[in-house]
Amino acid sequence: KIQDGEGPEAPSCPFHCHCEEDGIFLTVDCSEIGLSSVPSNLSPFTTYLDLSMNNISEIQPRAFHHLHLLSELRISGNQLRYISGQALQGLHNLRVLMLQNNQLERLPDDAPWDLPNLLSLRLDANLLSDVPSEAFEGVRSLRHLWLDDNSLTEIPVMALDSLPSLQAMTLALNQITHIPDYAFANLSALVVLHLHNNHIQSMGSRCFEGLQSLETLDLNYNDLQEFPVAVRTLSKLQELGFHNNNIKAIPERAFVGNPQLQTIHFYENPIQFVGKSAFQFLPKLHTLSLNGATQIQEFPDLKGTTSLEILTLTRAGLSALPLDLCEQLPRLRVLELSHNQIEDLPSFYHCSALQEIGLQHNKIRRIESSTFQQLTSLKALDLSWNVLESIHPDAFVSLHSLIKLDLSENRLSSVPVAGLGGLTHLKLRGNTFLYEAFGPDHFPHMRVIEMPYAYQCCVYASCDSYKPAGSWDTEQSNAHEDLQKRTVAVYQIHADAQYDPYLEDFQLEIEESKLQSSVQCTPTPGPFRPCDSLLG
Amino acid sequence: KSISGVSSGCQQGGCLTCSDYNGCLSCKPRFFMHLKRIGMKQIGVCMTSCPPGFYGTRSPERNTCTKCRSECDSCFDKNFCTRCRAGFYLHLGKCQESCPDSMVHNDTQRECVLS
Amino acid sequence: EHPLLRALIKVTLLKHEATGKPIVVEGLFVGGSAGKAEGRLMQYHPLSLCNTSEDERQDGDFITIVKLEHRVPRCLPLLDKARMALDKGAQAVIFDVSDDANAAAELREANSFSRPVVLVEAQGAEDLMGLVNKNEEANVVIEIKVEPKWLHYDV
Repeated sequence: KIQDGEGPEAPSCPFHCHCEEDGIFLTVDCSEIGLSSVPSNLSPFTTYLDLSMNNISEIQPRAFHHLHLLSELRISGNQLRYISGQALQGLHNLRVLMLQNNQLERLPDDAPWDLPNLLSLRLDANLLSDVPSEAFEGVRSLRHLWLDDNSLTEIPVMALDSLPSLQAMTLALNQITHIPDYAFANLSALVVLHLHNNHIQSMGSRCFEGLQSLETLDLNYNDLQEFPVAVRTLSKLQELGFHNNNIKAIPERAFVGNPQLQTIHFYENPIQFVGKSAFQFLPKLHTLSLNGATQIQEFPDLKGTTSLEILTLTRAGLSALPLDLCEQLPRLRVLELSHNQIEDLPSFYHCSALQEIGLQHNKIRRIESSTFQQLTSLKALDLSWNVLESIHPDAFVSLHSLIKLDLSENRLSSVPVAGLGGLTHLKLRGNTFLYEAFGPDHFPHMRVIEMPYAYQCCVYASCDSYKPAGSWDTEQSNAHEDLQKRTVAVYQIHADAQYDPYLEDFQLEIEESKLQSSVQCTPTPGPFRPCDSLLG
Repeated sequence: KSISGVSSGCQQGGCLTCSDYNGCLSCKPRFFMHLKRIGMKQIGVCMTSCPPGFYGTRSPERNTCTKCRSECDSCFDKNFCTRCRAGFYLHLGKCQESCPDSMVHNDTQRECVLS
Repeated sequence: EHPLLRALIKVTLLKHEATGKPIVVEGLFVGGSAGKAEGRLMQYHPLSLCNTSEDERQDGDFITIVKLEHRVPRCLPLLDKARMALDKGAQAVIFDVSDDANAAAELREANSFSRPVVLVEAQGAEDLMGLVNKNEEANVVIEIKVEPKWLHYDV
């Protein structure tokens, strides 16, 4: 039954609030009604009370003393500066307390809040600059604590000692600069710890001691100068983030203590050096991306890291790849190795799950028949900006799923088409010795093709429509108008601007001949890029 | 009613800029932006806490609401649930259909508790 | 410049499906994506389509419509937003660019979308968004518009 506090103060539903009964219990929503104090006539059977988004700047003593059944109390989005211990007296069964988006400057230290069953405490988006040691002595059952978006300059080590049941905590968006040793020593149940967007520059090598249940650690957007070796004690760690820091090296055996790691995010760090054994024995790691680590000369030893699906290692100094790369990484799906110095390629034969290979901007000279053999799932292959001179006629034969192939900016004089029937995108621009024109019959599904010369595009559109030199403007005609001529000239159909049902079969005609009008071939032929090759 | 002008469509407390068709476009500082689906429309709503089934992520540029995992009714972040959907039981932030050995279901709290 | 085909967007409110005449709005295919598409109309906020883990999975065929606003900071380039919408299962994406002058130029640069991506603006866009604001289920059919024969000859 719903009661609305519209009439003269309904016995148990405060004025303007919205109440709902659930048996004898009551949920009371007094949010966003301009309240300046806690309503006084709250029913003792209230289990849920929402006072958020009002103008409450203070909680009168004993305001909730009779609400023994209250389970959730929301006072977020008000103007509270301080809440004394007495203000929250009587809330024996409170499980969730939301105080975020207020102006709390300090927490009680003399008589802390006595909320023995509290599980979730939100203090985020306030003005707390420190947390007294005794602040949490009355909330020992706490599991989830939000302290993010405050003005803390230190980890509240002493206060956290009172929270042995804590499982998830965020201290993000504060001004913390250092994590001392044993900062979280008593938090043996902590599973998630967010410290992102602070100013952390240094950490004690034992700062994470005691966190034996930790699975997620977020150190992103800080000022870490060195790799956080302290993570070594986190044996249950599954997700680690330290991207957007100032770390220059990842040491040997960096993650030797973290066999459960599934994801490591460390992009946007000036990483120059990576120990060869840094990423060994991480059997659950599925993504590894390293960009710009110029001091990496050798491919990392990924022994025991057998679940890797995405490997990105770009802008480093690799000159060769291990011959047994695919034996080590049988589940590889994406291999991105652009901007290195790679000259020769091993056979990727055992990487049967590969879908994308990026090898652009290397020094690869030739492709053998075995290089990409049996990669039946490969969809995209980028070999642009190499020094390719020859590709074995059978190199692409088994690439049944390939739709995108980029061979631009190489030295090819021929390209084997066997196996490329499924391509929708083919780029050959910049191969100045390649004169052959590849007709639509080779590529029935083609949508975008880039050729070295304009005349090689003529097979994709009737050259006559470009021909009468007299009617050709000096400037290439507006593409839109050009399309009108081609569409109308080819199909000779009348139509007016309004949709005309008789055109239905005409629309179908467009469907079948879509190939003719929707293949984008560049460079587009024109008066100065004629259809007949100047070289005959 | 101009298409692009700040219009009457969004009187919510936390909204900073808004438009008729998209609701809130940006929120006041420290509010969460939630993209609320109502039938075929999706509008921006600014709030101090994300609705049930969503968690809030704060960052210097913007605070956003993101959906919890499907088996969670509420969560702390994408990897940590705080209450499970019916038929699932909470243990150390995970919602599972059965509890570890030496623990039993508590159906009211939907949690695994020591037996 | 790639040839840009015009689109016919025919929108029918589901409750008028049997009797009602569709609203017909014109648009411009971009990214070589000219083609046919059909599905339920679903609006997305310009701040949506920012990361792959985002929440919404629609069932059945749907067509995404996004009214872009220059006041909204872009979390991703529009090309990536369009691709993300298509990756999330949209049969096509319609961008109302009336209030975002740069959007049209940005989207014209695209060269390969797997399914139709269409720009609409001005009165056509207002008609379409007016219908979205009714928040009533609507079915959309997108087709390539065929220009009349004598439209461009000097007679």
